[in-house]
Amino acid sequence: MRGENPVDKDIIRNIKFGHKESFKELYDMHIDKALRTAIAITKNKEIAKDATQEAFIRVYLNISSYDIDQPFEPWLYRILINECMRILKKDSKLKLSYEPLSENQLVANEDQEDLTYIYEVLNSLGDIHRIPLILKYLQSFSEKEIAKALELNINTVKSRLFQGRQKLKNALETKQ
Amino acid sequence: MNNLDDKIKSALEDNINITESDKNQVWKKIETGLYSNKNSNFKRIHFKRRSFINLVATAAVIAILFVGSKTKVGHAIVTQIKDLFVPEKQITQEIEGEKEKTNMNLHQSLKSNYIIYVDEERYEFIDGEEVDKIIMKDKPDNIPEVSMDIQQLIDRSPEDVIKDLELQIQGKYEIVHGPETIREPINGFTIRALSGQKWDSLVIKIYVLSNEQQGSFIITQHYFLEAAEGHGVRFDEMVKEFKIVK
Repeated sequence: MRGENPVDKDIIRNIKFGHKESFKELYDMHIDKALRTAIAITKNKEIAKDATQEAFIRVYLNISSYDIDQPFEPWLYRILINECMRILKKDSKLKLSYEPLSENQLVANEDQEDLTYIYEVLNSLGDIHRIPLILKYLQSFSEKEIAKALELNINTVKSRLFQGRQKLKNALETKQ
Repeated sequence: MNNLDDKIKSALEDNINITESDKNQVWKKIETGLYSNKNSNFKRIHFKRRSFINLVATAAVIAILFVGSKTKVGHAIVTQIKDLFVPEKQITQEIEGEKEKTNMNLHQSLKSNYIIYVDEERYEFIDGEEVDKIIMKDKPDNIPEVSMDIQQLIDRSPEDVIKDLELQIQGKYEIVHGPETIREPINGFTIRALSGQKWDSLVIKIYVLSNEQQGSFIITQHYFLEAAEGHGVRFDEMVKEFKIVK
């Protein structure tokens, strides 16, 4: 499990001792996937940036109470998802549809058409199916880690992943 | 690309673009938030502020006790509390399915402006400098901690406090319920967490309510799973008797 990564543990231990450089190191290790996840959830890059910024600040401010023996990533993503939801709720008028794709992503090629279509369908799913799928496919989280990050029973996660995947599968089959 | 799992993964990865500039922008905002001149070295300031609060609280207690004993105004505050709240009362509570009559004694915290009735047969009230504690009397060594803490934060709203507590708890406990807004036994928020499902798994239950100014009161109960219907109920009965005194 990634949360048990000894590198994370050493870095977090240093942050607890007040090392600013270690916090930057932790940020560099996680920002790429964290920001991608926030964009996938909020469907808006600027909102995602605000949520990610706020989530890392909260991680830093609460690091003294974080138990180093618990996996780190589910904790980070729980905070991040909460921030995404909080900002979306606060700025509900800003809850836009996902940002349009760039030109080079719209090259007419069968595989890419499928990927674009899957992304559109994924974005149209409800949060209960969309967010577990994002954590599984973008983060490669295990079902147990998704359950921990979303505070759900593991069977609920399994069922939501199955239903979400099924919806994508049906949509793709219908298209073809 | 035939496999649906690969397609979903690629759909997410290919359709979300982030640049170095995006990552740098986020870091700059974090840096500003955490390390700007105003907030430089958050931890140091945080501890310093706590020490300052301790000092103010201690000074306030000394002043109130001194004033309380020496002046008419101070005497009036103490008398007012005594007049408003009877020193002892009996309540009926249901412990493990059985109705039980319990005597409760008045405790007043002048430094934090609250009163609470405590079941002194089973618990002891300790007036702390920063946190007041109600602890189980004669606790056997082989059971986990049984206590209830009461703390006032003069400059943090209940909404902010419960949010931070949620994060702190999530890193420490296996099962977390809440936070949720409640009306009973207090008007505020609660969050509850368990370390597991065994008889001695730790339970933490926290209530956060407004101090009716700019701050909050945090009431934190510690017990264990098997004691939920015993100590858990007794603590909640005491929480019902918690009142802010202005």
